[in-house]
Amino acid sequence: MKSLGVILALALAGLQLFAVAVVVFSSFLTSERALLEHARLQLFDVGTNVIQHTRWFMSPARSATELSTALATNEIVRREERDHLEGLLFQQLRSAPQFAGAYYGDEDGNFVYVKRDGDQQYLTKIVDTRADAAQRTLFINRGDDFSNDGQYFDPEDRYDPRARPWYIEAKDVRGSIWTDPYIFFTSQSPGITAATPVIGLRSHVQGVVGVDIEIKALSSFLSELSVGKNGAAVILNRNGDVIAHPNPELLTTETEEGGLRFPSVYDIADPIVKAAFGDRLREDEVSVDSIVQSNFRHMDQDYVSLIMPFGLDDIPWTIVLYAPENDFIGAIIDNRRQNAAIAVAVVLTTALLGLALANRIHEPVRAFAVRSSLISQGEVDPNEPMPRTYKELEHANTTLVNEIAQRRKSEREYRLTFENASRAMAHIECATGKLLRVNKSFCELLGFGTQELDDVTFQSLMDPSERETVGEFESKISGTSAFGFETKVIDKKNAPVWISFNGVFVQPSDQGSMYLVATIDDITQAHVSEEKIETLNRELARFSRHEMLDELATGLAHELNQPLTAITQNVDAAQSTIRTSPENVDALQEVLGAIEQQAHQASDIIKALRALVRKDTNMMTAFELRELLDQARRLVRPDARQHSVEIINTKGPELHVRAMRVQIAQVVVNLLRNAIEAIAEDGSARRIVRMSAEESGDFVLVCVEDTGPGIKDGVELFTPFETTKRDGMGMGLVISRSIIKANGGEMWYDGSKTSARFCFTLTLERQL
Amino acid sequence: MSESDTQSPCVFLVDDDDSIRASLSRALSLRGYDVKTFGSASEFLEVGKDASGCLLLDYGMPDMNGLELQKHLKKLGAKVPIIFITGHGGIPESVEAMKMGAVDFLEKPFKQSILIERIDAALEIDKKRRKISEQSSEAMTRFQRLTEREREIATILTTKTGENSSKEIARRLGISPRTVDHHRARILEKMQVGSVAELVETGIRAGLF
Repeated sequence: MKSLGVILALALAGLQLFAVAVVVFSSFLTSERALLEHARLQLFDVGTNVIQHTRWFMSPARSATELSTALATNEIVRREERDHLEGLLFQQLRSAPQFAGAYYGDEDGNFVYVKRDGDQQYLTKIVDTRADAAQRTLFINRGDDFSNDGQYFDPEDRYDPRARPWYIEAKDVRGSIWTDPYIFFTSQSPGITAATPVIGLRSHVQGVVGVDIEIKALSSFLSELSVGKNGAAVILNRNGDVIAHPNPELLTTETEEGGLRFPSVYDIADPIVKAAFGDRLREDEVSVDSIVQSNFRHMDQDYVSLIMPFGLDDIPWTIVLYAPENDFIGAIIDNRRQNAAIAVAVVLTTALLGLALANRIHEPVRAFAVRSSLISQGEVDPNEPMPRTYKELEHANTTLVNEIAQRRKSEREYRLTFENASRAMAHIECATGKLLRVNKSFCELLGFGTQELDDVTFQSLMDPSERETVGEFESKISGTSAFGFETKVIDKKNAPVWISFNGVFVQPSDQGSMYLVATIDDITQAHVSEEKIETLNRELARFSRHEMLDELATGLAHELNQPLTAITQNVDAAQSTIRTSPENVDALQEVLGAIEQQAHQASDIIKALRALVRKDTNMMTAFELRELLDQARRLVRPDARQHSVEIINTKGPELHVRAMRVQIAQVVVNLLRNAIEAIAEDGSARRIVRMSAEESGDFVLVCVEDTGPGIKDGVELFTPFETTKRDGMGMGLVISRSIIKANGGEMWYDGSKTSARFCFTLTLERQL
Repeated sequence: MSESDTQSPCVFLVDDDDSIRASLSRALSLRGYDVKTFGSASEFLEVGKDASGCLLLDYGMPDMNGLELQKHLKKLGAKVPIIFITGHGGIPESVEAMKMGAVDFLEKPFKQSILIERIDAALEIDKKRRKISEQSSEAMTRFQRLTEREREIATILTTKTGENSSKEIARRLGISPRTVDHHRARILEKMQVGSVAELVETGIRAGLF
């Protein structure tokens, strides 16, 4: 059993710990989840922003090419007039600062190209395939106002626009295209070309207009973006090349041939980007169809990331955004640590306070417990004043004091009762049967002195010839339920003493072994009388049967007269028939049949009588009860007729019982005769005796009920010489009951009805 | 049972035992008796008042025994002669039955010849009883036809046999002896008797006076 103090301390501290932990943990969980969600939303906003910006950034190029193409197609600008064309391209170039150059090449290989060449300076390159080789390629420096600031030919130049990828692709597609981003050779800046074919009549491609855009500006834009505090966004081409990065320096790498190209996301010198894109690294196609969210860990730091498609069909780019989680939940995590520390502190403090409080609460209880145990050991007088304590404990103390006083009193009383009881008593150890304590009467009963019975077992006092009883006793004392039995013990003078033994088990509260409190009565005298009575009853039973038989025989002789009369009459009828009409054989046969039947009836009566006269073999046999009831009815029928009493034997299935048949017949006849006499003396109007027999568990219940006046209260039935009859001895029921008992049944008077009803049971013999 | 059935003499048998009823009625029928059987006393009570013939009555029966039936019949004025038949005829029972007017008390089983003899005797008694009863009712009818004075004189003639001379009657009634003689002749004539002695006999038998 746990101490109250410990339980209090544990409960107080434990409850605090639990409450604090629940609050801290739940607030942490919910706020972190909300913030991470917020981070994703923010990343998404940034991504959308980048996409919008890029679209805004790139769309003028396409507009420019398309406008130029439209103008060329509609021959508003005549392609043959190079100055005109150059002017158009120059206009376009000036319209958007992000344009690096604008150009037009045709199917003949002619080419006009205007590009920026430093601040507010432009350079035009014109390839004329019709001119001499030396003058084929002309360069013109242009001012901001299209002024010619000098020109020269480059005889070495062999540029052919028709071989360029933008030209080939636009021509193939027969529509506007974007080239893959690449590094402009001259500016070493990343760029991309928008190209649109000029399609003439009969769907013939006449040339292609192109505009170069430097996308370095995208990187600058990215670098200006704030993605969390330490996050970033990069743009990937569909092949995995990083084409925009907050740090433009990282955007160019040298090819093995010495050229320049974009770094692939697989080998860019930005490990975070690599990690952010990490879970898609092994795929060939890096573009995504929908937004991919993920978390990753790099350099002991957790990140959230988002990979978004651009959602522009002709720009197959993907934007990768990432940011460290700490940017969003750092404060929360710090807060969490703080909270945990506070919680621990609170718990420790409470635990200490709890212990102190528990101790304080517990102290009076402990003192009370000590006092109680001292009182129960008798070292402290229960009436001594109590130290200050709780009200409840004071009540308990009062109860305890009363209880102790009561207990001492009852102990003393019990001791006196035990010692001086007129009945013999003993305490017997259950495990061994040893006599632990005996009283004076016990010693007197057996003639021993108290000391002589030390270390003696009860079994050794029992009559050794009654081995079965000794065994029964030993098995009973190893049980737990109270028991009683009768047996013979041997006293000091070796004389047998019949005793009635009643044992009750007692389990001492102080963990001692179980013992039996036995009360023993000397029944030697009663036993002898009982034997005598039994013999007497047996005698009486036999005598009563003989007497009854005498009476019955007279009646039965008369009863026989019924069938005999019928027989004589039938014989007379037969004789008459023979005399008057001997040929009427049918009539004769009928009469003879009747005679036979009546002869059997007579024989049945004789059988019934014989069944009752049969020698008393004292053997239990199995027999059919209803047949016996019917025979008994037959035996008393003369009586019944005489007093106009009808005996009804309730019908039912056969009932086999095991008993001494003759004796049962005697009982039934006795009951029937009592019933008939009761009716006759009363002069009742209804004159019926009803016999019934039915199965009831392992028994058969037989009842005899009459319509007589019933038994008045106060008449002790089943007591010798008690009778309601004018000339009765008052022995019939006594004998009947002892007969039924001897046959293993019970007999009683059922006073629940107004009329008299006697019942008895017999052991049912089950038919297999 | 119709009126005529009970009027013609027959043997009534009341016994609760089926076999007795069956065998007795069979044997007696074969011997030419008209037998009617009843399973209980109460059954017979319904028709017994005017029964003519004789009654074979079982003594011990459930509900109502033979003796009780006999009492009932007597109360009703039934005069059918009763022969008790019993399986266990105790002397006290038979004495009581005879006191009550039973003609006989036979113990079962009885010899058939004795039974027949007793039945015949009982039937004869019944027959006589009936005849007497017829006669007395005739006498009664005739008596009714007398005038008042004649009845007065007839009563004196039969009841006061010591002082029934014409003179004494004349003096008692305050009329002349001749008138008394005249009345006496008329009485004898109307009552269809030959003498005063015969008138007395008839009168007593019919219970007129």
